[in-house]
Amino acid sequence: MTTDTKVPAPGERFTGHGPEWRDARLDRQDAVTATVWVEQIINKRSMLTQKDRVEDVRDIMWQLEKEGEIVVHRVSDEHRPTMVKTLYGWDKKIPTTRLWHHKSCGQCGNIPGYPASLLWLMNQLDVQYLDETDQTSCTAWNYHGSGIGNLESLAAVFLRNFHQAYVSAKAQGLPEGYYYPLVHCGTSFGNYKEVRGYLLRSAKLRESVKKILAKLGRLVDGKLLIPEEVVHYSEWLHVMREKVAERQVIDCSQIRATIHPACHVYKMVPEDVVYDDTVLDGNRVAVSTGIMQTLGTQVIDYSTWYDCCGFGFRHIISEREFTRSFAIDRKIRVAQDEAHADVMIGHDTGCITTLDKNQWIGKASGRPVDVPVLADCQFAAMVCGAHPYKIVQSHWHASSTETLMEKLGIDWQAKKAEFEAYLKEVAAGRIETLYDPRRMITSGPGYKRIAPTP
Amino acid sequence: MEHAGTRVQQYIGDPVSDAPPVGRAKLEEIFSDIQSDMRYDHELNGCLNCGICTATCPSAHYYDYSPREIVQLLWTENLEGIYDAMQEKIWACAQCYTCAARCPFGNSPGGLVMLMREVAIKHGMESAKNVLRPFSRVMLKLISTGNQLSPDMISKDGFPDWGPNISKVDAPLATLRKAIPMPTLHTTKTAWEVNLKTSVELYTIWEETGVLESLKTIDKNLHDVISDIMDEKRDELEEWLEEQEED
Repeated sequence: MTTDTKVPAPGERFTGHGPEWRDARLDRQDAVTATVWVEQIINKRSMLTQKDRVEDVRDIMWQLEKEGEIVVHRVSDEHRPTMVKTLYGWDKKIPTTRLWHHKSCGQCGNIPGYPASLLWLMNQLDVQYLDETDQTSCTAWNYHGSGIGNLESLAAVFLRNFHQAYVSAKAQGLPEGYYYPLVHCGTSFGNYKEVRGYLLRSAKLRESVKKILAKLGRLVDGKLLIPEEVVHYSEWLHVMREKVAERQVIDCSQIRATIHPACHVYKMVPEDVVYDDTVLDGNRVAVSTGIMQTLGTQVIDYSTWYDCCGFGFRHIISEREFTRSFAIDRKIRVAQDEAHADVMIGHDTGCITTLDKNQWIGKASGRPVDVPVLADCQFAAMVCGAHPYKIVQSHWHASSTETLMEKLGIDWQAKKAEFEAYLKEVAAGRIETLYDPRRMITSGPGYKRIAPTP
Repeated sequence: MEHAGTRVQQYIGDPVSDAPPVGRAKLEEIFSDIQSDMRYDHELNGCLNCGICTATCPSAHYYDYSPREIVQLLWTENLEGIYDAMQEKIWACAQCYTCAARCPFGNSPGGLVMLMREVAIKHGMESAKNVLRPFSRVMLKLISTGNQLSPDMISKDGFPDWGPNISKVDAPLATLRKAIPMPTLHTTKTAWEVNLKTSVELYTIWEETGVLESLKTIDKNLHDVISDIMDEKRDELEEWLEEQEED
């Protein structure tokens, strides 16, 4: 036992446990002994599956469609779906082509290489998609940060955006339902799944939002349109991982990778999350880990894998000391000191931003940290030969992505020089794009009809 | 001698006085607003005070905040405690839902916090006004454009603790944005180009769902600025639609 007998003065400790709480003052070994049984149970898949309440809202969805209450946007054969297993072993259909990109405001705003890498991979794999201007944020970052918004507004935004995905192909002379929405942001993914559940369970909520959607002209045959599956891009990347690996040009077997699973991806509506017994014994969400294993990296587990990143929604703006302390002490430093990570891989907007941007300040405490942070699709694109600046846009990352590139054998200085030369072309109006820019406006000002995609 | 009230006393009452901070009727109204949300019974199913939620809570590491306490206050219908928690504690939650993932009862303390935050805004509580002040630019951007974050928000001056590497290539923001190979992202004031029709549709949702009224309660100036911007956008869209009909 430790000899430290100091008892915190009243008000000195702020842990949320109440004033009666006293430190047990166990030394490290005794603390491990006392809590090891918890570690064997907690944060494993069984912790989630042992609960009583199990309900597949898709059962309600099919019943409501049968009763003529809603229309379901199906993942059809034309979307070439791949089946995966979720938490309880249920099937989930992941569409692999004809995808409507539901972008993320945080990704597009400050990690643009995140969506660009995803679209680049889709081009490599001949996947059809649409990236258009008729979509809004899911508004859930703001909701979770500020409390402005409500269930009705979140539901209406969800239905509006997904309706647009359903009708978007008409601008190209293609039928409704042609494109299926693919959600980029983890917060949107969690929020949309939660909202879909409430919409399916509550006739009152359906009734109130139906009036709004009618006013917007966003009903199908006078009914609400509900997606059969809410699909996150990381799930698409997961089911495409073998095909991605076929295009790999850079060996990454020496790379030690840590994964940060995103809270709103796997803790919200956990029954809809992909698990695979071949990925860390099925004890972790399979996305990201699956692609990193398939690409040949060494995925290293670490003790705080389940912790959030510290983003906090409002905290990253107005409680920044919390955000950076949590990001460094509970995630980055653990990945660095415990896992000796060469990279931390994520699959959500706020996490990548938080973990990437909040490392530099560690120098202020005299204990610097240095772990490159990328999204799974950025890493995958990079080892498949995507340009680290023109496509992966690594210059928007504050963490040391250059260190990672050196370990991968990429001459980042030469690539950066190429990009700087390209910027002169850009300034002169000679811009390279991943798709025909005319396709991005599907209605309203600026719309011009173009021929259907072959 | 009578002392001027502190800010805490002003908003939550005198901590050593037996007198409630607000009347019983108001406390009941606040609780009723929380309890009547259709999500309430889904998020709260019981509590044995096991504390597994607080043990894993990131905010409990740093703040006087405990998800177990929030659940207990609601479960026992401790109206004064609920009101007190709404003055500050509920804003500490990082909304990670680790508590919900762990709770053996299937409670969602993080989800319950959201209901309490919504009600704090509805009642114009000072805590909500304080929290939303730094959010005003995000709110303006979100409600008027449909995007919450834009490239021009991220600057070395705005985020000095992020260090000098926010952008590792020295070039004007507009050029860097045009060098992104997605044409929808060639913007600096929004994360992506948002169709005019789309932002007007979103504004209609804000109006119809009472969100604009909530905003008015918290920040009338911001509400008025947004209203002016959106009136102009609606006019612009109307004009375009009229032109189409004429053509």
